[in-house]
Amino acid sequence: MKTLKRAAALAGRLFPKSKTTRVVWFAALVASAALLLLPWLVKLDGRPHADWQQFLGRFHPLAVHLPIGLIVLVPLLEIAGRFRPALREAAGFALGLGFISCLGALSLGFLLAFGGGNYGVAVTRHMWGGIALTIGVLLCFLARPWWTSGSVPRVYPLMLACVLMVLVWATHQGGTITHGSNYLTQYMPAPLKRLSTLGTVQANAPLSGSFYTNHIHPIFDANCVTCHGDGKVNGNLRLDSYELLMKGGKDGPVIVAGDPEKSLLFERVTLQPDQKHFMPAEGRPPLKPEEIAWIRAWIQQGASPSATSLSGIAISDEPKEQPLQPVGDYSGLMPEIRQMEKGQGAKLIPVSSKPGDGLILSTADAAGSFGDAQLAQFQKFGPYIVEAELGRTAVTNASFDTLSKFAHLRALHLEGTAVTGDGLAKLAPLSQLTYLNLSGTKVTQAAIAPLTSMKNLRHIYLYNTPAQPALNGEATKQIARSAP
Amino acid sequence: MKQHPLCTDTEHCHNVLDLPVPADLKQEWAALQTRRHFLGRTGKVLGWAAMTSLLCDLAMRGDASATSANGQSGILSGQDLKLPHFAPKAKRAIYLFMSGGPPQMDILDYKPNLAALYDKDMPESVRGSQQLTGMTAGQARFPIAPSHWAFKRYGKTGTWVSDLLPYTARMVDDLTIVKSTNTDAINHEPAIMLMNTGNMSPGKPCLGSWLAYGLGSMNDNLPTFMVLQTKVNTKQNNQPVSSRLWSSGFLSSEYAGVGLRSSGDPVLYLTDPNGVDREVRRKMLDAVSQINQQAYEELGDPESNARIAQYEMAYRMQTSVPELADLSKEPQSTWDLYGPEAKEPGTFAYNCLIARRMAERGVRFTQVYKRGWDVHDNVTGMLPVLCQETDRGCYALVTDLKQRGLLDDTLVIWAGEFGRTVYSQGGLTKENYGRDHHPRCFTTWMTGGGVRPGITFGETDDYSYNVQKDPVHVRDFNATILHCLGIDHNKLTYKFQGLDQKLTGPTPASVVNGLLA
Repeated sequence: MKTLKRAAALAGRLFPKSKTTRVVWFAALVASAALLLLPWLVKLDGRPHADWQQFLGRFHPLAVHLPIGLIVLVPLLEIAGRFRPALREAAGFALGLGFISCLGALSLGFLLAFGGGNYGVAVTRHMWGGIALTIGVLLCFLARPWWTSGSVPRVYPLMLACVLMVLVWATHQGGTITHGSNYLTQYMPAPLKRLSTLGTVQANAPLSGSFYTNHIHPIFDANCVTCHGDGKVNGNLRLDSYELLMKGGKDGPVIVAGDPEKSLLFERVTLQPDQKHFMPAEGRPPLKPEEIAWIRAWIQQGASPSATSLSGIAISDEPKEQPLQPVGDYSGLMPEIRQMEKGQGAKLIPVSSKPGDGLILSTADAAGSFGDAQLAQFQKFGPYIVEAELGRTAVTNASFDTLSKFAHLRALHLEGTAVTGDGLAKLAPLSQLTYLNLSGTKVTQAAIAPLTSMKNLRHIYLYNTPAQPALNGEATKQIARSAP
Repeated sequence: MKQHPLCTDTEHCHNVLDLPVPADLKQEWAALQTRRHFLGRTGKVLGWAAMTSLLCDLAMRGDASATSANGQSGILSGQDLKLPHFAPKAKRAIYLFMSGGPPQMDILDYKPNLAALYDKDMPESVRGSQQLTGMTAGQARFPIAPSHWAFKRYGKTGTWVSDLLPYTARMVDDLTIVKSTNTDAINHEPAIMLMNTGNMSPGKPCLGSWLAYGLGSMNDNLPTFMVLQTKVNTKQNNQPVSSRLWSSGFLSSEYAGVGLRSSGDPVLYLTDPNGVDREVRRKMLDAVSQINQQAYEELGDPESNARIAQYEMAYRMQTSVPELADLSKEPQSTWDLYGPEAKEPGTFAYNCLIARRMAERGVRFTQVYKRGWDVHDNVTGMLPVLCQETDRGCYALVTDLKQRGLLDDTLVIWAGEFGRTVYSQGGLTKENYGRDHHPRCFTTWMTGGGVRPGITFGETDDYSYNVQKDPVHVRDFNATILHCLGIDHNKLTYKFQGLDQKLTGPTPASVVNGLLA
């Protein structure tokens, strides 16, 4: 009984007293209902319509930022209004303007989706988010006078909080449509990533190990599903699973097994980038030549979901090269370096005009006279040296002590020197080292064994050494790769 | 005291404002002066602005003279600013130049459908409105000449290679084959100039000179850019290869290519004459250098400095070149790889071996020329000889660089100046045919630092006549080479005749990303 009474009292307070206010409320409710009915009035059927609709619609991503900015501004103004009342008045204006701009952005959004023939889960969600947001802003605008007059203090702040949450959700859906669902998480630090994907199940469990899942599907995943996935389904075509890919789109099947030339998908990705129907559309980067070659071979050889390999296509599983770690800026040390180089014959040459790319220790002019003692003089600049060209110099095993302190060393040339490999293990801390040339030295298999623990060391050259494998150069690289 | 601007007698010329004249006249006079001053000062301001821009330009160009005058200009003072724009994949390059224009459809551009079209006329639509050379324009018909040789697939990539290139076939997985290279010129001299200097007219610096200018030397004892010519096989149709192709154009002549002779001493008069020891030579050079220095101070011609530098380089080459050309310490495995021909100076295999030795010693750019690919007739007679002369050397060079760990940062390029026609020049028989120049498509390859191994880029039509996909113009080809060596082709410029000159010329060129690793 008590609650009923309180509700009745609240309703009494809420019910508008003046006639104009009643009319305004009525109009607002009718407008909200109309907005809610909009998706049924303008059905997103996945077919492109008039060009003018798309033309105007494409201003949606631009226009949409005006309401976002205004709505975010409202709570800030309300809070700031506690201290400067004039700002509080501005909040009402911002809210009103926010509603009008919401209507504008919403109509443009509809034109974009309807005109361009977009549909899909993310599009639908984004649409409902936009509608809910517009209605929410309208209601906030109407409820605000209660709050300022003090008659109903809590409804407006609560509604405003809800509107902000809807805003975040709806705009995120919009972002997903344009950038793809992994845009935010792609470069997320690994620990955070693990947290954020906790409990989510990998959808469309792949037929693991097949050529399609290993090589073809990832191409579509990276380049196509933003517009041809569950979020957005342009041209009624989805490429996010094998079944949907084979089903095709509005122009029928896009893959003709065994005939890449007749497959619409292959035709579209192999057009010239400036042609109208080129895919990926909208200025996205074209597929790489080898990706196109894989797709061609895959279609040619039956477009099977389960075949594990294709004839004529060899894909090296060599790990991708990691981006290089930039080194510190050495430009301040340059006068000192030039001073030290005098009479040395050895030089520190910048890799490029960007100091972050480091220095190359070049001994081409010194050769025979450059030994361990000379190398030690460069220790001070060790952190900036990314490549040491010590081939055919007089350095010995003793150089490993100095070299182990060149923390950013990526390439080390020791070909034709007197090193025998004793103490090569000292190089283990050089985590950036990818290239080691020991050709023409006396190193043995046993001496290089400790190097197998260096994960980044991909190229070891042992030509003309006791450690050289039976075959020629081909096999020398294998040593590093066979490391655990 | 304000005076009339044109007044020369400052003592007797009175200031108008002090004279007993009506005030409004004085005002008018003052306004008049303001206008004169305005115009005068505007002129001066413009002059100053022009001077500032000129001076700044000089200071910012990083010219050797400007840098040394400032002493500490730029972050890397003391060293002229010859650095890559970004971290390069390749530090050096070896360019195997097949002068004359190899017939692409006989070696790498496999066209199986042609066999059925033997002696059929090439469809008009394929040629379109193209103007042919004077050598075949008058031909009554253009009969299709299918390749005389069979093709097979090689390597993991299954690349089609003609039976003429058994060694190249072994390394196809390492090659980046470009089937869609195309050029603007249909005759040798303009085409070979375009390929090397980016322009059909002589006078522009070549690729190697641009590299030497842009990247500087890695070894002070050897030239930055060297040229090796292969001995001429007189039975072949040899087109002239002149020093214009390795000229530094308007760049300082320090950046011109230095040629090694293909027989006898690699460099003439390298050994000191009898009775002249190294010390006497040094004293003489010092004296000559002083005289040249005087000439420079008097006339200010930068070529005087280039001359001094070249004398010094020649002096250092007296010791570095004999060491370079001394093959006595090469192990037996080298001869097994390059073949016995490599022992004979001037052969292509020998030049490939020298190119590898120069790469080891830090020569930035080596160009090996092989002439004779101009097979207008007797293709079946000459082409096997040409392939036999070059095939093993190419393979040996790439393999040798690879096993020694040099291919990681060396770019190897194989190209001619254009391709050849699918139709026969002169009579076509089952046994023999000829091929005319063809600029619209030709096949080239690269390998090593910066390019993606094991791919074939670009496609030609069924007649190997027009590029069907991914065209690579000579400009783009050169821009890509510069990119592999860390140079942005739009930024490596030199002001000459009022233009910022560059290798790729004024027509927009682009790096071919599809070729990059």
